[in-house]
Amino acid sequence: MNNYTKKFDLILAIPLLLYIAVIIGLILSAVVKITPETILSVFNNSAIWNSAVRSFVTSIISSLLAILVAVPAGYILSRKRFFMSDFFDSVIDLPIVMPPLVIGLCILLFFSSTDIGRFLDRGLVQWIAELTGQKTNSSGLFIFNVGGIIAVQFVVGCAFAVRVIKSGFDELNSQFEDVAMTLGATPLKTFLKVSLPNTMPAVIAAAVITWARIFGLFGPIQLLCGTMRFKTEILPTTIYLEYSIGNLNGALVVGVFMILTSIITLTIFKKIGGKTL
Amino acid sequence: MSGIEINNLSFKIGDFSITNYSLEIGKGEYFVLTGANGSGKTTLIKLIAGLYSPLSGSIKINNVNVENIPPWERNIGYLPQEGLLFPNQTVKENIQFPLEMRSLTKKKINSAVDEIVDMLDLSELLNRKPQGLSGGEKQKACLARALVCKPDILLLDEPVSAIDEKAKIIYCEKLKALQKRLNITTLHVSHNSIETNLLADKTGIMK
Repeated sequence: MNNYTKKFDLILAIPLLLYIAVIIGLILSAVVKITPETILSVFNNSAIWNSAVRSFVTSIISSLLAILVAVPAGYILSRKRFFMSDFFDSVIDLPIVMPPLVIGLCILLFFSSTDIGRFLDRGLVQWIAELTGQKTNSSGLFIFNVGGIIAVQFVVGCAFAVRVIKSGFDELNSQFEDVAMTLGATPLKTFLKVSLPNTMPAVIAAAVITWARIFGLFGPIQLLCGTMRFKTEILPTTIYLEYSIGNLNGALVVGVFMILTSIITLTIFKKIGGKTL
Repeated sequence: MSGIEINNLSFKIGDFSITNYSLEIGKGEYFVLTGANGSGKTTLIKLIAGLYSPLSGSIKINNVNVENIPPWERNIGYLPQEGLLFPNQTVKENIQFPLEMRSLTKKKINSAVDEIVDMLDLSELLNRKPQGLSGGEKQKACLARALVCKPDILLLDEPVSAIDEKAKIIYCEKLKALQKRLNITTLHVSHNSIETNLLADKTGIMK
């Protein structure tokens, strides 16, 4: 740090400070409206607790599934050139650039109007039930059900995870892998002992970004799963439901809770060394 | 013959190609290969290591054709330009790596590590991560990692290019002494005449 660039640095810092003021102002405008009574009423509402648990469970499951797919996918896209690899690379970005509602609509159409989608949604359960001799209810696994929440979260989140993890592999010199193989490591051992451990900050960053992205996802989930209390309600749905019945303060409490959760998660992640974010 | 024997080797990647290249390096010989940038020295090393597959021709290591043997079964020591110690491991873990890949017992691993650490005076560095090491220290650790399994051949791709001049001479002397002691057939690719003079039993130019 020197004194010669102080003025210049201060001028450049103004937009940053303004933007931070806007974010904090927006959060404060919600926080100041909240009274202890509202918080208490929200905490005593079993539907909201139920929704919070469903939000955390589905978003964590979807993030883990996304990472399971994104690690090998990111590695292949980073390391190998193959027929249509550029096309695959572009397709991966589609869920990032597509409007979320369109994604929801596509998933709804897939499960409702294609043979494979219908089989996954209803046929699979019926088939297992027939095999085990048990009765099934008529609802599907995905449409208007929790499986749909996970499916939408996975489709949206996985694209972010692949992008971040691919960047991690891109940054790792591929000669590390060459050296490992000449030292006696098979491709699998090279991947597990060299490639993956040295890309771990990117994998952790991907998990956090994915989770943060899908934790607040609303539109496509509402389209596929509806807004059913105690069944497909997640925290963004709760905000919508509370707002639609005129309980603005209840919606605000849930919103602030979601903001705080995101801030705490990101802070812990940065503290434990996630420098990729 | 024992050592490295390359006959009519051809290879192509993008616009670059090697055509009908032949080379013989005797058992225990230290061969320094020089040549202009882009002449294919690094590619040749990667072909011998099995990291590239030739279009045609043969590569023999100690009289065994290795074209169809994957790199992890060739028992070679390979040192690229930057050395490349694995950043997530300490120096000791890096040196243990090839021994662990061969599923040796803990006792054998410790004894092999102790032996090579003594030879290269690395005991002070064992618990350090690569990030804090100098260029010379990194290359010494990489050499230890490449030699700890007593490979049939040693492939060195400009191993001293990242080391300062004074340390370079010390490193080269150590390298030569070790190569003679272990009697390892060595192919060393270099641009530098100091290295060539200090190390080579034989030299060649790749055109």
